[in-house]
Amino acid sequence: MNYKELGLKVGLEIHFQLDVDRKLFCNCSSAMKEKEPIAIVKRKLHPVASELGEIDVAAQFEYLRNRTFFYEVFRNESCLVELDEEPPHDTNEEALKVALQIAKLFNCKIPEYIFVMRKTVIDGSNTSGFQRTMIVGFDGYFEFKGRKIPITQVCLEEDAAAIDKEENGNVYYKLNRLGIPLVEIDTGVIESLEPKEIEEIAYQIFLIASSTRKIRREIGAIRQDVNVSIEGGKRVEIKGVQRLSLISKVIEKEVERQLELIRKGEKVKKETRAAKEDGSTEFMRPLPGAERMYPETDIKPIKTEDVLKYLEIPEPLNKRIERYEKEYKLSKSLIESLLKTDYFFLFEDLARAFPNVESSVIASVLSSTLKEIERKEKIEIKLSEQKLFEFFEALSKGFIFKEAAYDILKKMNEGKSIEEVVKELGLIPLTKEEIIKIIEETKKEVADKKKLIGIVISKVRGRANISEVIEMIEELS
Amino acid sequence: MDAYEILKEKGISVGDKIVIDSIEGILMPRSEFVESDVIVVKMSNGYNIGIKFKEGMKIELIEKKEQQASEKTTKEEFDLRKPIVSILACGGTIASRIEYRTGAVFPSFSPEELIEAFPEIKELANIKARKLFDLFSEDMQPEHWKIIAQEIAKEIESGVDGIVLMHGTDTMHYTSAALSFMLQDLPVPVVLVGAQRSSDRGSSDNRINLVSAVLFASKGDIAEVVVCMHENLNDDYCAIHRGTKVRKMHTSRRDAFKSINISPLARVNYHERKIEYLTSNFRKRDKNRKLKLDTNINPNVGIFYFHPGAKPELLREMAKLYEGIVIVATGLGHVGVNPRNDKLAKSFLPVIKELIDKNIPIVFAPQTIFGRLNMNVYSTGRILEKAGVIGNLCDWTIETALVKLMFVLGHTKDINGIRKMMLTNMAGEISERIEI
Repeated sequence: MNYKELGLKVGLEIHFQLDVDRKLFCNCSSAMKEKEPIAIVKRKLHPVASELGEIDVAAQFEYLRNRTFFYEVFRNESCLVELDEEPPHDTNEEALKVALQIAKLFNCKIPEYIFVMRKTVIDGSNTSGFQRTMIVGFDGYFEFKGRKIPITQVCLEEDAAAIDKEENGNVYYKLNRLGIPLVEIDTGVIESLEPKEIEEIAYQIFLIASSTRKIRREIGAIRQDVNVSIEGGKRVEIKGVQRLSLISKVIEKEVERQLELIRKGEKVKKETRAAKEDGSTEFMRPLPGAERMYPETDIKPIKTEDVLKYLEIPEPLNKRIERYEKEYKLSKSLIESLLKTDYFFLFEDLARAFPNVESSVIASVLSSTLKEIERKEKIEIKLSEQKLFEFFEALSKGFIFKEAAYDILKKMNEGKSIEEVVKELGLIPLTKEEIIKIIEETKKEVADKKKLIGIVISKVRGRANISEVIEMIEELS
Repeated sequence: MDAYEILKEKGISVGDKIVIDSIEGILMPRSEFVESDVIVVKMSNGYNIGIKFKEGMKIELIEKKEQQASEKTTKEEFDLRKPIVSILACGGTIASRIEYRTGAVFPSFSPEELIEAFPEIKELANIKARKLFDLFSEDMQPEHWKIIAQEIAKEIESGVDGIVLMHGTDTMHYTSAALSFMLQDLPVPVVLVGAQRSSDRGSSDNRINLVSAVLFASKGDIAEVVVCMHENLNDDYCAIHRGTKVRKMHTSRRDAFKSINISPLARVNYHERKIEYLTSNFRKRDKNRKLKLDTNINPNVGIFYFHPGAKPELLREMAKLYEGIVIVATGLGHVGVNPRNDKLAKSFLPVIKELIDKNIPIVFAPQTIFGRLNMNVYSTGRILEKAGVIGNLCDWTIETALVKLMFVLGHTKDINGIRKMMLTNMAGEISERIEI
């Protein structure tokens, strides 16, 4: 399909949950660990007419569905603020800092005063009937393949409650997600690019925002809305694309859908559609109007000068990737797989702390050995950064060898110290004399040198430096 | 430098579309939280930002604000088969609405606006509505209570089936107590109603509270002054509280209002539009009963909150400004009288005796909020009772005790007369028994 000729226009809205401990407007934990609700509160929402007597078409649509909302309350993770029973507290300063860092990374203008706004949302996902949101940056851009991709705005907002279940017009929402700090990054209209390229843009945005090290990466913590239109069609907003890798498919399918309607002589309607797992979409509601935003009068405006004074701007991730290639000689594919882990930043901390351990060894332990243990042993790796430091320190001191990484890390993951693990596995390093003895004994049985090397290596595996052992065999024969 | 003054000189006013520092947007009203040189602009994406005005900054007027559409004048038709309810507005959250363009909050509801915002009330009753005042709760004075009582009396005399009074919540229980004393032998319900959540939001409690209040005013069988507010955090029921026994017990929750020492009188099922009575101990509706209006009230009553370290001298000073004092006492009804002559303790007994001798009544109300005073149990209580403190065996709230003393002082200055009136249960303010 020739998307250029079709006049494909796409706008992205990318949402990231911030990895901070507290919620945006209260002191509830943002961990979302609790499983069982401790209480359920029943609510109705009503549309409110604006001063001109107009009710937002999206709000009216939701109201006519006459649904009843049930809010599940979780210990430590929801309080009176989430229940709309107490006014919001001051804006979480850590979250604000991260949002401002992101705005700066996208070359945005920062308002001198930030005003928190109320955006009308009446599908029940916000107990109050609105979502609190603030613009922290506007008129920004970033470079992609030599062109400037416009970033129209970066907003800090509260995440909405997640639907637990829906039955007979009763919708159950989990309150623990409501209020988690969320950054929304909106691109301007992107024209004459392929759907695949737009997906790459989304990935670049993710990488740049990740530079703050405060972006959550779990499933559901990153969500995209994609606006798509073609010549002769209409702007359709597709909400809730859960994976970056689904974006191109969603765009392709929406273009097909609009083309099909045009072909049949039907009108494409301006509307909001929901993305499904396979990239297709279904109707959600009409597109909301513009008069949905008004000030949150319960929160004082924020003077950004005071925050910006002490704000450090992190190194952009794409710059860091280039540096990893050059400084640490990591291959592109190794960097790719490292990016998929939680250890991308930790890599450099380790590489700097232990310069005599090869960078590629550190990178591959972090990106593949740990994954391999998870996959083969069917366990979850929960090693702290400190434990990983212990491991590489032992490696650096020659106390352990990289060949034993799998076994040692597997045991360390059970909570054991490295000393305990080494003892338990019998991986105490061999002395030179012991190695020589093994070589001499093996030589008596095997004459062929190639075979000899193989057998000796298997005997000393994990207890000696392999290249040193090979050298020793060479010397002794 | 006042940026808004400078804009005014340029002929730019709030609501106009402008370009400032290459940012296009609508000029918003000044924010009270930022310096006077900050201009607030709503950008085309709907967000407001603040821009510091600097000398030589380029500001252009793009478009003047459109004139507001004229007010709607459609009159609602009367349906003779339905009861008539008068809605009187005093102000407060429930009677406010927002101008979304600027975010400014506007008070007051005309009947037309009310019906437009809450169409359900039209189905329950013929609505008469008017504004009495536009006051924040904390600006309400005893003199306002008189006016409210008079206006309610007028409405009742005109033959309505019930009254709804929209009121700010912070002092609603003071007003409900005052009206309970002033409006005697009520033939129909007088229902006070408020909102804890602003009316701009889809989750506001205003709709359920108001619809329930109108329903109760039109059909409820309790011809007393009552408060109608959310029963709990769910959007299901409103509780009907007796005006003299209700208290705001939370700063922000929608179920902030609780009946103290008694159960609520009834509850309104909002979804089914049904009333459930929780007691039969109330005055029944009877349109033939003749209302007696008595607005004699003396506002010169103050509250003294006793606490460790409290100074008797302050009480003496207060008595210079007031003609009666409610002391918020500890436990069963105590303030320090130092019967064991402790070196550090202070006795309030001399000043209390002195004031009572001067015909300044001293009335006790419990700090514990819940429970009944009983000054027979400890010697301190017995000493105070003997000295003439009023309140033994009463279970009134602090606020009701205050309002009742104002009302009583509006009728007599004689200390024995005051005592007798205070201890007479006039409007359900003293419960005979407290249920478990």
